[in-house]
Amino acid sequence: MDFPLFAELNLSLHSGELVCFMGSNGVGKTTLIKTLAGLQKPLHGSTEFPDNQSVALVLTDRITSSLMTVYDLVTYGRYPYLNWDISLSPKDYEIIDNAILQVHLESLVNKRLYELSDGQLQMAMLAKALAQNTSILFLDEPTAHLDLNNRVEIMNILRNLSRTAGKTILIATHELDLALQTADRIWLATPDRKILQGIPEDLVLDGTFDEIFQFKGFDLKTGKVSHEAYRKVNIHLEGNGYEYLWTKNAFERNGYEINSSAVLKVSVAQKDHKLIWTLSKGNEDLSFFSLAELLQSLEGKILKV
Amino acid sequence: MTGILIVLFISNISLGSVQIPFSKLLSGLLSEQGTYSDILWQFRIPKALTCILAGSALATAGLLMQTLFRNPMAGPDVLGLTSGASLLVAVILLMGQLNPSLGSVVFQNPWSIALAASIGGAMVFILIISIARYVKENTSLLIIGLMISAATSSLVSVLQFTSQADDLQTFMIWTLGTVGGTGWQELGVLSIVVFTGVVISYGSIKSLNSWLLGENYARSLQVNMGRSRFWIVVATGLLTGAVTAFCGPIAFVGLAVPHLVRLIIPVTNHKILIPAVMAGGASLLLLCDMLAQIPGSTQILPLNAVTSLIGAPVVIWMVIKSKRISV
Repeated sequence: MDFPLFAELNLSLHSGELVCFMGSNGVGKTTLIKTLAGLQKPLHGSTEFPDNQSVALVLTDRITSSLMTVYDLVTYGRYPYLNWDISLSPKDYEIIDNAILQVHLESLVNKRLYELSDGQLQMAMLAKALAQNTSILFLDEPTAHLDLNNRVEIMNILRNLSRTAGKTILIATHELDLALQTADRIWLATPDRKILQGIPEDLVLDGTFDEIFQFKGFDLKTGKVSHEAYRKVNIHLEGNGYEYLWTKNAFERNGYEINSSAVLKVSVAQKDHKLIWTLSKGNEDLSFFSLAELLQSLEGKILKV
Repeated sequence: MTGILIVLFISNISLGSVQIPFSKLLSGLLSEQGTYSDILWQFRIPKALTCILAGSALATAGLLMQTLFRNPMAGPDVLGLTSGASLLVAVILLMGQLNPSLGSVVFQNPWSIALAASIGGAMVFILIISIARYVKENTSLLIIGLMISAATSSLVSVLQFTSQADDLQTFMIWTLGTVGGTGWQELGVLSIVVFTGVVISYGSIKSLNSWLLGENYARSLQVNMGRSRFWIVVATGLLTGAVTAFCGPIAFVGLAVPHLVRLIIPVTNHKILIPAVMAGGASLLLLCDMLAQIPGSTQILPLNAVTSLIGAPVVIWMVIKSKRISV
């Protein structure tokens, strides 16, 4: 008995748009992507692609045959267009080289897959999908296991592809922060086996994300994790711009509360291209050149009191 | 690689139980009469050609199985074909006593063993083919093949258990594998079947390469899974079946040669791999055959013993040296 993961779906993708498909783990994102791409049949209904376009895929499958080179891997992207003898034309070579350039892997072209890091491997898989030269791209968790630099780079490449090359891109991901900053639209899987659609900001502001993800201790609208002011100490903070925001972050993270009527005062300012923090209590004024020193001193002071 | 092959071929035909001096080799080849000519043309050259055909066929079949199942331990016998062949050969060799008149007819016909092996292999083959298009994963096919091997092997044990010592020895000698039993006629049939198998294999290089990416990606590159599996199994069946029919179950070559070749030429593209393993398999078998015949004497070692004895340490040494083995 086949169990439907989603029912009564009516979804569409438009060219040149990047859609992030989100939902908790296990809800069926990979299955839907594979179904939409034609790898497995839906229980009911169908997917239509205008002009018989095909889909290039980047999945989470590991390639066991790690002896092949990056160039071998990217070449696979041309397979749907090649004859039985897989001979490449000059145009094929050009497309392959281009795909490798787009992901900045030119220097690793002859490296074997087992010599690559996770991030490089992911880029190589993306290059293979790009070499397929389709107008539609589906990716399943492309940023999983990657460090911040690689995650941002992949999302930037994908966003460029949708903006400048007009590709239609669907990304299944659970990385809310990246999705909110890159997606044109979000598909959100709901517990009742449906999929909601909307632009990221609407879904934040109308509380849909809060409802689906049930954040605990995280306020999506401000993007901040909630802290408890356990020290019961108030600080009056003065400053501008980024110095102010990050100093405030440090205090709140350490359990202090920022209050303009507090007696204890800290001000942060730039002097000779360096930041100085000044702690004033009554008549005393102490200067610090790093937040760490300031916080340490505060703890010392408070214990003394 | 072709150079090595030629050298091995020439060495192979010049060695044997009767000493043929190298200088007389050419004249022996060219003349129509004389003992040297007879030995060369009736015996040694067919044997060497059998080595080449069998070695390349088995190595190709092994490569196909390793790629299809993405399993470095797969060999040509993994679909159960050699077991099916063994079963039917066991039937005719070991049941001769039950029906003596039929038994003697069978023994007098030199093609009977080959035919029995082919039919046995074909039966398993048809079974596997009918399942091949419908299983969801290649691993299912692998398991089915292994189970068929297990079942037929146990049937063979039962037959062995209930037969006479003489028949048992005949059967056992068959299982040791030989390249010396093929005359020119058999060679003709063998080469046609092997040629067909190789052509089908080479024709499948696109889907073979695609299988290396796994089933999901292969499908997304528009490989027809059912059809590809079908032709790969057909090719394996033809290659393995033909060799087993005429040479008995030759061990080791199909499993080891793809690995050895990949350790020397690390490529994954079957366009290069298929010719490479063919040359490798042919060379290995020519070499093992030479070593199986202690030169100058009539003592012959069983082929399967030599292939495994020589081959296994070589594979172990190469794997340890490179620390990396991959399909």
